[in-house]
Amino acid sequence: MSTQTPSRRREAITGLLFLLPVLVIFGAFKFIPILGAAGMSLTRYRLNGDVTFIGGDNYARLLADANFWHSVGVTFLYVALFVPATIVVSLGGAMLLNAVAGGATGIFRALLFVPYLCSFVLAGIVWSWIFRTDGPVNAALHELQLGPVHFLTGKQLLVLASLAVVSVWKGFGYSMLVFLAGLKAQPAEVYEAAVLDGASPRQVFLRITLPLLKPVFFFVLVMETIIGFQVFDTIYVMTGGGPARASFSITYFLYDAGFKFLDFGYAAAIGVALFLIVLVLSILQRRWLEEKETA
Amino acid sequence: MTQTLQAATRPARRPAAKVRRAAAGRRPPRAGLMTLLCVASLFTVAPLIAVVILALSPQDAPTIPNAWPRELTFDNLVRILRLGSFPRWLLNSFCYSAISVVVILFTSSMAAYALARKRFPGRNVVLWSIVATLMVPVQTTLIPTFVLVAHVGGVNTLWGLILPTLANAQAVFLIRQFIRELPNELFDAARVDGAGEWRTFVSIVLPLIRPVIATLAIFLFLWHWNDLLWPLVVGQSDSARTLTVGLASLNTETVSTSNLMAAALISFLPCLLIFVILQRHIVAGIAATGVKG
Repeated sequence: MSTQTPSRRREAITGLLFLLPVLVIFGAFKFIPILGAAGMSLTRYRLNGDVTFIGGDNYARLLADANFWHSVGVTFLYVALFVPATIVVSLGGAMLLNAVAGGATGIFRALLFVPYLCSFVLAGIVWSWIFRTDGPVNAALHELQLGPVHFLTGKQLLVLASLAVVSVWKGFGYSMLVFLAGLKAQPAEVYEAAVLDGASPRQVFLRITLPLLKPVFFFVLVMETIIGFQVFDTIYVMTGGGPARASFSITYFLYDAGFKFLDFGYAAAIGVALFLIVLVLSILQRRWLEEKETA
Repeated sequence: MTQTLQAATRPARRPAAKVRRAAAGRRPPRAGLMTLLCVASLFTVAPLIAVVILALSPQDAPTIPNAWPRELTFDNLVRILRLGSFPRWLLNSFCYSAISVVVILFTSSMAAYALARKRFPGRNVVLWSIVATLMVPVQTTLIPTFVLVAHVGGVNTLWGLILPTLANAQAVFLIRQFIRELPNELFDAARVDGAGEWRTFVSIVLPLIRPVIATLAIFLFLWHWNDLLWPLVVGQSDSARTLTVGLASLNTETVSTSNLMAAALISFLPCLLIFVILQRHIVAGIAATGVKG
């Protein structure tokens, strides 16, 4: 009895010592910047140390800024294109791989996954070439007496769809493997029973595969939504926010405010707004999926 | 048995088709699936093959999509590797990725060991505050992190680039989940043998968590190697630029397509190499994040 308290204390001390490096790193580079973002968003902040507390002025300015609302619209439109597309493609890929059991799966899995290995910058460079007016897609369209299509310099919907294609191509491999693992974990007996009962493939998919996949689906949905809202690299490489601000996303707005106009307080406020949007959407998505379960 | 015989001997097609359709509820014909898979793979791989062909095409020679190059050459790769700052960018990317991976994995393993195996006040608060940071987009903390690094003179330095990326919640969380599953007896045996805490960590925990460490190492390397935004804002001068940032800057300059693609190809090769060698770990790692996470 008397040894228990000191050994407990020793356990606590060793625990804290092992935790110390990570606590220091997280304190300095995660927790302080998160609080810092909230704090800086309430100031007019210049890098030379010129800091003035201005309360909610940045947020008032943000709400009145046409550029902000434009960037929010651009981002939501992009996410509305990117997230469903990436889920359909990754779930489709996973179901294909799952259906073809056997030796060849490994090779196909690797071939489908390989774009995930490259950077968004590399993806942006290749697809800029693919989408060029004299690129392969337009060459093929020309053969069909169509086009030319101006993928990256045309109408907003076309530009955002083209950017979404690049992001889906680059990123779907991860979610595909997550879905595949989820599918592999599903019990085969349920499927056999369903087939014996004469369920159609569509019924099997809607009544069995999807409900069993729900936790995985939620994970992928939230993850891809967060990724979608953070779109920056492909825009930076492929369109620079253009043409005529057609791809001027929230993150591009933030980058411009911070590093072109050096308006750090305002940029911090944009960052906080981005966080709030992502947070609210994640909560709504969870609600939506839970409702579907009880319904 | 009789049914199979009947189906096999009877010339009528109907029953066979019916049986096949019933089976199709779960498994459509294999040949169709294989074709679909081939087409899908072609879509994912074709752009990368185009990179390789363009990178190996002689400069100014007609190449895809207008013509197939008559000969392939390594000239572009050699030229790019000798180009001004390119070797520097390559070195920076290697340092940024390799140092970050090693430090993150070591410190995260220590923290994960404490969070999984030691009882101390505030343990859960610490764990969940670390995991909660996953919900905050990197762009939200971009400005304050940059200001912080700028104030301590870290802009355009390698350490300024590396330090802020060492806070990685995924690594802590995944290693903790893994350590939690290890059997208690191992730790009891170590205690009975008189192993100190540090020895237990180094000679028991570290060897046992190798699978999760291998997986994380691959992903952390990929994420750092391919990262753009943070290296872009903190490494503005050539001396601290990473390959990804350099590649993006080449894209805006008037570099020929073959040279640009050569640079792109070089940036991609390390990732491909890692994947080919360690594929198994990648699949296992993703399965662990998605299904259990």
